[in-house]
Amino acid sequence: MKRQNVRTLSLIICTFTYLLVGAAVFDALESKKEKTQKKKVYDRKQELMNTYNLSQFNFDELERVVLQLKPHKAGVQWKFAGSFYFAITVITTIGYGHAAPSTDGGKVFCMLYALLGIPLTLVMFQSLGERINTLVRYLLHRLKKCLGMRRTEVSMVNMVAIGFISCMSTLCIGALSFSFFEGWSFFHAYYYCFITLTTIGFGDYVALQKDHALQTNPKYVAFCFIYILTGLTVIGAFLNLVVLRFMTMNSEDEKRDAEQRALLSRNGQAGGHNQMRCTPDLPSSSSAASGCGGGSGNSGVGGAGRGLRNVYAEVLHFQSMCSCLWYKSREKLQYSIPMIIPRDLSTSDTYMEQGEAFSSDPLHPLHSNGCICSMHHPHSAISSVSTGLHSLTPYRLRHSKRRSSI
Amino acid sequence: MKKQNVRTLSLILCMFSYLLVGAAVFDALESETESARRRILELKRTEMKKKYRFSEDDYREIERVVLQADPHRAGRQWKFAGSFYFAITVITTIGYGHAAPGTDSGKVFCMFYAVLGIPLTLVMFQSLGERMNTFVCYLLRRVKQCLGLRRTEVSMENMVLVGFLSCIGTLCVGAAAFSHYEAWTFFHAYYYCFITLTTIGFGDFVALQKKEDLQEKTPYVAFSFMYILVGLTVIGAFLNLVVLRFLTMNTEDERRDAQERASIKRKRGLRSHINLSLRRPESPLGSLCSCMCYRLEVCESPLPSHREHSGCNINSVYCNSISYRIQSWSPRDNTGLSSPGSTLSLGHNFREYPCCRRKSV
Repeated sequence: MKRQNVRTLSLIICTFTYLLVGAAVFDALESKKEKTQKKKVYDRKQELMNTYNLSQFNFDELERVVLQLKPHKAGVQWKFAGSFYFAITVITTIGYGHAAPSTDGGKVFCMLYALLGIPLTLVMFQSLGERINTLVRYLLHRLKKCLGMRRTEVSMVNMVAIGFISCMSTLCIGALSFSFFEGWSFFHAYYYCFITLTTIGFGDYVALQKDHALQTNPKYVAFCFIYILTGLTVIGAFLNLVVLRFMTMNSEDEKRDAEQRALLSRNGQAGGHNQMRCTPDLPSSSSAASGCGGGSGNSGVGGAGRGLRNVYAEVLHFQSMCSCLWYKSREKLQYSIPMIIPRDLSTSDTYMEQGEAFSSDPLHPLHSNGCICSMHHPHSAISSVSTGLHSLTPYRLRHSKRRSSI
Repeated sequence: MKKQNVRTLSLILCMFSYLLVGAAVFDALESETESARRRILELKRTEMKKKYRFSEDDYREIERVVLQADPHRAGRQWKFAGSFYFAITVITTIGYGHAAPGTDSGKVFCMFYAVLGIPLTLVMFQSLGERMNTFVCYLLRRVKQCLGLRRTEVSMENMVLVGFLSCIGTLCVGAAAFSHYEAWTFFHAYYYCFITLTTIGFGDFVALQKKEDLQEKTPYVAFSFMYILVGLTVIGAFLNLVVLRFLTMNTEDERRDAQERASIKRKRGLRSHINLSLRRPESPLGSLCSCMCYRLEVCESPLPSHREHSGCNINSVYCNSISYRIQSWSPRDNTGLSSPGSTLSLGHNFREYPCCRRKSV
């Protein structure tokens, strides 16, 4: 079965198993307490009803009023500060629910607002996260140089460690601040920060809900907003470092398959025309928006019969293909067990660098790995050094589907 | 300024403006209603306090009890079905909050559960979404072929349109179902589906909260879970199609910059080093002249920018294959072809040398 399908199926099974296991554990942890608490509250309710001589109907009425007043207890929620807070919870998808639009107009606007805001925010956090990672990498490199270390390259392990430590510190700083300002225990404040920064946002703990803080304490309000946005950036940077590559794995594989097919069909017809089929590899991160249609323009360039020169080219091409094939065979080994975690998170630094190469398309240089001995560079031995290396430049300008002739 | 920096700064500015505009609009839409409603409710409260002759403390006590009883009104939340529902809201980051772990150990487990579950779910949805997009593209092409259209390629616009229609379709199906089962209006049910499938999850509307639904109406429970997961897949597929490329834009640009610098340097260095590449190098690194040039350039760029680091761990294999190919073309060196392992060792040796080490050629 195709690798992508195996991967997807395994992920689905994994997720379902994970859900089942989680449900069982939560059941075991919480069910008992829920039962005892329910009984306690119910008993207390009965007590109160007896004390104040309330009928069920009366109590229901009271209950309704109390519940409806609940969001108002925390202060005015929709003045500018509160609305800003709400807007943050919408576009970051935290969604506490401490305030939710009650008017229909508010609901409609909320949906439209989210429709545009959520992708904008996703892209923004990833963009900023990538910049931060780049900066951190640079700083670490300089630090290593200053410390006079022999190996000053920044490895993936370094970056992951730093990212992880930043996340933990962000959570701890938040926990300290909120436990102080909101009067929560450190653990509850930490739990709040965690639930907020992972954008789960239960709403069981919500900041800025005490003592009308939204209206009366602008400094604390500003701190909260900045904390949430900065914290999300730090988490976003870590996700950009660790998780984003997996999200594009299937697309990369599809592209590689498509190029392989193209390569094979091109080599199969010696010098014949190579028709670019419509390969469903649209969701690729670096492709132009034209998708399938755009590839066909290159067919004329590729395999026009050029006689001896072409044959020579093919021979050299296959010679240089050896390393590529070897890379690919290694890759196949790695992929023989459908893995969710690729080897470039393994311990060896060397492997790390090359693992990054393996995980993306070896025939596609824009995906940063070295197997550039693809169909771009068939050429003669002597001139090859110059032309071969020169010919590296064209494809950096273009989408990978370009097939440059000699 | 570098393209990536401009892009990032513009995005930050965009987001802040978007937040400000949103806050202003929500203020305008909701503030009045809020204060009006609050006035009414407070009046009612005073009325009731008078009616039942509650003191302030009495009322506070009743309020406390009512608020505590509220989550239990919806039935048992932590039996297996309820826990499964909760687990879904955690790993998909929906997080309604209709049920939240009360015990400390529940909170701890919740955090660990989320740490592993959220990335797993993100990757799973993107993976499945990509598969769906591929399949839809294939189907669409076949349809176009069957319909005898001249151009059977599937364009991006086609895919986006189909994706958008699927999302709307999913929302409408959910709205119809939930408005029926939960007795909400169609609009409220649509709003619920939207807030759920965008993983915002306010919790103002939550399915399966009618008394004992979780325990009794098993087919409806199963439907709800499936709907949430399938709906998230459809949305995920659309995001994979439209948004994912933007998430990797900065990274791609960094890579491209590094390669540009590399090729520029190579062009310069090549003219003086062209003879050397055909000579058998003394050490495996000697053949890496062009690679080194590029690498050195990347690392010791006279430019004050922080570009150099980007070459550090991205393109070492790039270098490897260039050097490898140089070796293989050199007439006296045949090791390259027969020992692919040398590439790996080349890379290994290469890695041992600091990025900025100047190798004389």
